[in-house]
Amino acid sequence: MGLRPILSSLMRNGAGALLVAIQIALTLAIVVNAVFVTSERITKMGRPSGIDDQNMFALPVTGFEKNFDFFAMVRADMAMLRDMPGVVDAMPSNHIPLSGGGSSTQFYSLPDKKGEKSPVAYYVTDEHAVNTLGVKLADGKNFGATDVEYRPKDVQGFPGTAVVTRAFAEVMFPKDKDNLVGKTMYDDQSKPIVIAGIIEQMHGAWVGWDKLDRVMLSPVVGPGPGIRYIVRTEPGKLDAVMAEVEAALRKRDPNRVVGKLRTVKNYKQSSYASDSLTAVTLSVVTGLVLVFSALGIFGLATFNVNTRTRQIGTRRAVGARRRDIVSYFMAENWLITTLGVVVGCGLALAVGFWLSNQFALPRLNLYFLVGGVAGLWALGQLAAWQPALRAAKVSPAMATRSV
Amino acid sequence: MFAYYLRLALQSFRRNPGLTALMVMAIALGISVCMVTLTSYRAAARIPLPHKNEMLYAPNVDSWDPAQAYDKDNATYAPDLQTYRDARGLYASTIPDRKIIMYKAGGVLSGGNNMAPEYVAARMTTGDFFPMFETPFLYGGGWNAKADEGPEPVIVLSKETNEKAFGGANSVGKTVTWHDREFRVVGVLNDWEPAPKFYDVSNGSFDDPEKVYVPVTWGQIMELGSDGNTNCWKTEDINSYQDFLNSECIWWESWVELRTPAKVAAYRKFLDDYVIEQKSKGRFQRPLNNHLYTIEGWMQRNNVVGTDNKAMLIMAFAFLAVCLVNTVGLLLAKFLNAAPVAGVRRALGASRRDIFWQHLTESGVIAVAGGIIGGVLGIGGVWALRAWYGRFVQDLERALPVDYSTLGIAVAISLAAGIIAGLYPAWRIGRAAPASYLKVQ
Repeated sequence: MGLRPILSSLMRNGAGALLVAIQIALTLAIVVNAVFVTSERITKMGRPSGIDDQNMFALPVTGFEKNFDFFAMVRADMAMLRDMPGVVDAMPSNHIPLSGGGSSTQFYSLPDKKGEKSPVAYYVTDEHAVNTLGVKLADGKNFGATDVEYRPKDVQGFPGTAVVTRAFAEVMFPKDKDNLVGKTMYDDQSKPIVIAGIIEQMHGAWVGWDKLDRVMLSPVVGPGPGIRYIVRTEPGKLDAVMAEVEAALRKRDPNRVVGKLRTVKNYKQSSYASDSLTAVTLSVVTGLVLVFSALGIFGLATFNVNTRTRQIGTRRAVGARRRDIVSYFMAENWLITTLGVVVGCGLALAVGFWLSNQFALPRLNLYFLVGGVAGLWALGQLAAWQPALRAAKVSPAMATRSV
Repeated sequence: MFAYYLRLALQSFRRNPGLTALMVMAIALGISVCMVTLTSYRAAARIPLPHKNEMLYAPNVDSWDPAQAYDKDNATYAPDLQTYRDARGLYASTIPDRKIIMYKAGGVLSGGNNMAPEYVAARMTTGDFFPMFETPFLYGGGWNAKADEGPEPVIVLSKETNEKAFGGANSVGKTVTWHDREFRVVGVLNDWEPAPKFYDVSNGSFDDPEKVYVPVTWGQIMELGSDGNTNCWKTEDINSYQDFLNSECIWWESWVELRTPAKVAAYRKFLDDYVIEQKSKGRFQRPLNNHLYTIEGWMQRNNVVGTDNKAMLIMAFAFLAVCLVNTVGLLLAKFLNAAPVAGVRRALGASRRDIFWQHLTESGVIAVAGGIIGGVLGIGGVWALRAWYGRFVQDLERALPVDYSTLGIAVAISLAAGIIAGLYPAWRIGRAAPASYLKVQ
């Protein structure tokens, strides 16, 4: 069957077909870009953090009385927390991973600010950090209790030993990727720090930072008066342990401020909230736009069939088979969809280009465009299927009857 | 005539309830998605104190590393914070009508009648903060320049803090302890939630305002660092608080009120002179890069609205466009399907114009229905998002307020859209020759 009669019939009712084509073009442009951005955000949110973030919580503690013994408080609290049932381990820390708050510093692979350099997010803590965070020590060893410096005054610089992530160490020592333990790095005052252990993978403070996986754990506690505690619990016991810990801390020493307890999971969700909001909004828009496009195609096809019953009857009367009628309408729909898809491809690329330029989003991946084109073709044919079947049911006798 | 057209429209809806519902829902969903994104966009893009937009300025000087720009992606930007020395240096100018230097600190607050000690964020600031930003007071007021110089041990509490400490009673003249030092309450703020928190965007555009306000000089006496961001580029030996104050680390914020263009010009010159003088002392080795931002400019400079917000707004309006094209197509189909009826009416004497208005009324009714349903869905959508995200985003009420004025916008957009969508189909049906439809009947 030739396309000529379809084309000439389309020309007679051009407006309806054109509207469907425009709708398909817009749909393609929206859906391809929305799905691309959404999938990118979902990938970002799904990255493993390397820490046991589902079973951890954190809280700030601040001493405020004069002559307050900060270190005695931290030691006593830690001893108590680590002994509590349901607690795997606990650590003091300057910041909470994944929370969006943190500190970073710069290191060099050679003294005098020479060699490779990289910023790193750091956590000052004690020897329980590795176990509390649940990170995997891939190489070397953790620092020990005797390495931890309890500093009563704010002193610059870090102790001479540290545990760092592989991602950070590999940037610092790109030529010795298999032999990172024992390497020495230098701060901007050329003070040396020896890498004692390598963490396989761990996320630091800022989820939007492209160097999120460069982290250092340094054995320092102090100077106070404020500090954060991070506690890891056995799976499933988070809520119960949190309530007990809050009560126990207040009871052990009422003369300090115990801040709000918050799960690390909650911090993480909060840090990713804007990504998640974008993903949810775009998914909803994608779903709706597809449903409405399908319904629009379906409505127009139904209308076309309804207005052409006499024409269909005549064709049937002069020998067209049901199959011919079905394929006629499917082909008509395919033509309209194709027109829309071709225009839509251009539009989708333009939108993608514009988004990436204007808003510093990554450039549209072309696989998504290919998928969108195939999907819309399928959607168009699916939406036209039922009206086409109905058209095939028109009896040849319709040709002789008036409406 | 309008009432008659309305009746005809209702009859027509009854003939094709499914198709009508589809059109109404298309408009409603398009509108509601736009409303949800518009709500978060408008909340972020709102300019606080619009009547002072041409008066309040954030001065910005570039004290950063000579080797690299502060913001690599926007090399023309100067740092968003200042060093202690520069904040004090700019504060010395007598040109501004009012001036503020400030930073954010934290400490334990206790005292009052029955308050459990609590760690609270404090805004260390100068007395002009309150009149410049027009903070509402429940009791008392701010402090004057003399209290800044002393400094006098005065403190302003937020309404919430006053409720915790004094049960909401007038606490002016009473004493609280903050950071182990006694302060006398001189004022209690009323509800004040600037959103966006334009004066401290570098520490979170939708963060809570601080719980207490203290003269900034106390910060240096009590040796308080910043509870917000502190950024340093230079290698310096910092072994004491004094070293820190003298360092190139940035952590301070400045605002000035300049009421006339002449003062703006004079202050710009002051900034240039200040930096040139500092250059002669070996500081400020980057090219002269001073800025004087209005509130609006400052929010743009700091990308308060956010790229996602803008991109989603565009996506939402594209979705509305799809919904409208959809509606135009369906309206066209529906009208042409019912063309014989219009043909009969034409034959009985209705003019083309009558037919056109009749059909436009029909599409108008669909649009209004879609707008109202869409508005309700949109508000529901905002509530749903808040319920979902409120569990882990503290500042959501300010970032995503339920804004009922968008409901009016929604209905207006929808009505305009529906009429535009109805124009072509109504015109097309009005043009149809009656004879062609009468023949087959």
